[in-house]
Amino acid sequence: MTAALPDEAWVTALVSLSLMGPARLAVLLEHFGPAGSWQALRAGLRLDSPPDASTRAAAPRLAELLGARVDAVTATWRRETRAFDPATIWAAHVDAGVGVCVPTSAGYPPPFVDDLEPPLIVFSRGDPDALVGPRVAIVGTRDCTRYGWDIAHRLGSELAEAGVSIVSGLALGIDGAAHAGALAAGGAPPIAVVGSGLDIVYPRRNAPLWRRVAEAGVILSEYPLGSAPVAWHFPARNRLIAALADVLVVVESQGTGGSMLTVGEAIDRGTPHLAVPGPITSKVSAGPNLLIGEGAGVVRDTADVLLALGMSAGVARSSRETRPDPSPPDRRVLDAIDWQPVTFDDVSDRTGLDLFSLSTALDRLVDGGWVDRRGVWIERRAKGSR
Amino acid sequence: MLATVPSASLLGVDGQPVLVEIHVSNGLPGFTIVGSPDSTCRESRDRVRAAIMSSEMVWPMRKVTVNLAPSGRRKAGASLDLAIAVALLVADEQLPAEAVAGAAFIGELGLDGTVRKVPGALSLVDALDAEVVVVPPDCVVEATLVGRHHVRTVRTLRELVAAVKGEAPWPDVDVVEPAADPVVVPDLADVHGQGLARRALEVAAAGGHHLLMIGPPGAGKTMLAQRLPGLLPDLERTQALDATRIHSAAGERLPPGGLIRRPPFRAPHHGASSVAMVGGGAAYMQPGEISLANGGVLFLDEMGEFAIDVLDSLRTPLEEGIVRISRAHARVSFPARFLLIGAMNPCPCGEGLRPGACRCSDAALIRYSRRLSGPLLDRFDLRIEVHPAEPRHLLGGEPGEASAAVVERVAHVRGQAVTRGVDTNAELSAKALDECAPLSVEASAFLEKALRSGLLSARGLRRVRCVALTLQDLEGRPPPIAVGAVSLAMQLRVEPRFLSRRMAG
Repeated sequence: MTAALPDEAWVTALVSLSLMGPARLAVLLEHFGPAGSWQALRAGLRLDSPPDASTRAAAPRLAELLGARVDAVTATWRRETRAFDPATIWAAHVDAGVGVCVPTSAGYPPPFVDDLEPPLIVFSRGDPDALVGPRVAIVGTRDCTRYGWDIAHRLGSELAEAGVSIVSGLALGIDGAAHAGALAAGGAPPIAVVGSGLDIVYPRRNAPLWRRVAEAGVILSEYPLGSAPVAWHFPARNRLIAALADVLVVVESQGTGGSMLTVGEAIDRGTPHLAVPGPITSKVSAGPNLLIGEGAGVVRDTADVLLALGMSAGVARSSRETRPDPSPPDRRVLDAIDWQPVTFDDVSDRTGLDLFSLSTALDRLVDGGWVDRRGVWIERRAKGSR
Repeated sequence: MLATVPSASLLGVDGQPVLVEIHVSNGLPGFTIVGSPDSTCRESRDRVRAAIMSSEMVWPMRKVTVNLAPSGRRKAGASLDLAIAVALLVADEQLPAEAVAGAAFIGELGLDGTVRKVPGALSLVDALDAEVVVVPPDCVVEATLVGRHHVRTVRTLRELVAAVKGEAPWPDVDVVEPAADPVVVPDLADVHGQGLARRALEVAAAGGHHLLMIGPPGAGKTMLAQRLPGLLPDLERTQALDATRIHSAAGERLPPGGLIRRPPFRAPHHGASSVAMVGGGAAYMQPGEISLANGGVLFLDEMGEFAIDVLDSLRTPLEEGIVRISRAHARVSFPARFLLIGAMNPCPCGEGLRPGACRCSDAALIRYSRRLSGPLLDRFDLRIEVHPAEPRHLLGGEPGEASAAVVERVAHVRGQAVTRGVDTNAELSAKALDECAPLSVEASAFLEKALRSGLLSARGLRRVRCVALTLQDLEGRPPPIAVGAVSLAMQLRVEPRFLSRRMAG
């Protein structure tokens, strides 16, 4: 019965094996084909005494990739191919409603077709047609400031409204803010690329967002069900984000970090990248400011991004202030808070208020949506932010 | 011939009376100690023998049996040496029995007959009923604190024999007071800026609220903690006697005059074992750091670096104010009522408080937040973030308020707690709070909102109300509790789950 399985099923089974990375899989598929690879591994893959021409052809490159661990790795593959049934693994994906594509499949995402490193397999949850329209990737740090969060949210929402899909990684911080914005606007469908199996929600705190993105758009992954979010998946995930993007926007990032790697991938693919400028004193604006210094486009508002996409900016919406005016004493407290994070003690120094009155004034400003509190840090919130 | 001499040995921080009985008879020469001596106590034999011979007395070449009654209780330490020597001399008829009647003896013997100091003299003497107690010169101050006995002292065994025989007067030993350390109590005036942290420290001192300080290295957490004992009032006499007994039993140095009047400050290193922290030990039960801090402050710097089981062993003592230690051979309890001050970095990279400054991965933050268990975190009424003071505060800024002014407010608030039937506001039950600290309408609405939004748990509610009461007491405002006090109390109880500071989508 296994003979009737499609190629997608064989590749799914192959990537489910331990110790199976993309480079190893690519060599196997090239020489043995999907079903043939499984049989070859099951037979033990004797590289020192190749039983057939395919093995002889594949042997030098596999030996080089596996190095000193060659015996341990082939033994593991031999054991696992005997223990697992590809039909069962395939049934699990089908039953879970996960879409599976390999480069030869009809539904293989067009943006990956001509990519530098096209994924050998793509799992998806949601509507694959979400990939049709223009796409902007919004990336940035997990530990963002309120400013970064607000900007990412606003870009996400205004771009989605203009018919642009937001591509991001569903991480905490900037990633999540961009998608939350896109979902709030309810425009173009959101696209997420994750570094774990589609049944392993990581980070857990973004579980509601994850579900809503799958409902409104699509979530893609290179990893089969049950895969843990291990560290080396994330640089690979970032490459797919860069591959999907027509334009990449970096909102906040430290000078070195995952988002800067995504920029590198975008440059390799000739994808334009833009950066959101920030204060030179803020660590998480160091990355975008560096990119601007090196010639990246500046994002001052959504129109800049649309222009980079070759779309007309349309009529700029004037977002109206909807928050209730703070009372005059509270307004004085608000005026003492600048657009960079300040501490409770800073505000206390500037206003000279006693701690009881200051604390209650801040409570009212939080309630009114004017500021946000994280511990003793206080940050101003932008107009129209959530 | 038989002789009986009272003495005492230490178990935990308490003295237990021990009757030293010696029987000397004809038979094969030998010396046996019975009555559950442990190895430190059994070694007495060799010290006593050498001391008697060096003091020109005669070591009996007969069969000697020493019994330490009550024989079922374990005895440890060298405090019985002197009593064993005296009883032996009486049993061997080198000293008349009448000469030592009504006297008890405590002290360790040197091989040359010197009488040496023993730990826990205060508790040992307190356990004795004899009219006269003879103690080593270094223990006279402690022995006198008990106040029920006629305290005598000798420097050597030879002096003792001469005195009890009436051949020489009891030596009038000059009590050598330990040199008074110049007492340097760091003053709050040294702390510039840090308004919120200063207020938290004052609240901790006034209300007896445990305090956790979270901040990057160099923010001044240790500096603040060291200033806390200076804000606490002197110990009352019973507390002072407890503190002295515990320090004496642990062999710690006592202040001039013997009595510890100032609240102790203990800051064990994070490598401390759980026995060092709560007490216990194989030989004899020693009080741990939490008992040495009784009545004062236990400061745990780098709290995230302590072993988790060591930290969790603090939970019961924090709740009960006492620690009960059970071993196969003994059970003891030590007082352990202390103010816990913790300090830790916000995350492994140390920068995790300022938005957008932390470089830690989510996984590293999850691992780090596991270093303090939830139940222990819950014991901290006050959880504050400490940030390095602004340069302009450090250079030429006006000095902060001095400790002396704060001490007065603290004493006032503690006085008010006593009128509410507790030692400190932190101990008030929810029911007591309803009676003595009703909430204003706005404060009640504020707390209801916090409870609904999940910012505050039902368990946290009582603690926030206690802190709000202390805050308001410090301002001299009578109840009902205003919304400002409740709001500030919430601000002084930040969420230390570091990952939750990152914003989900």
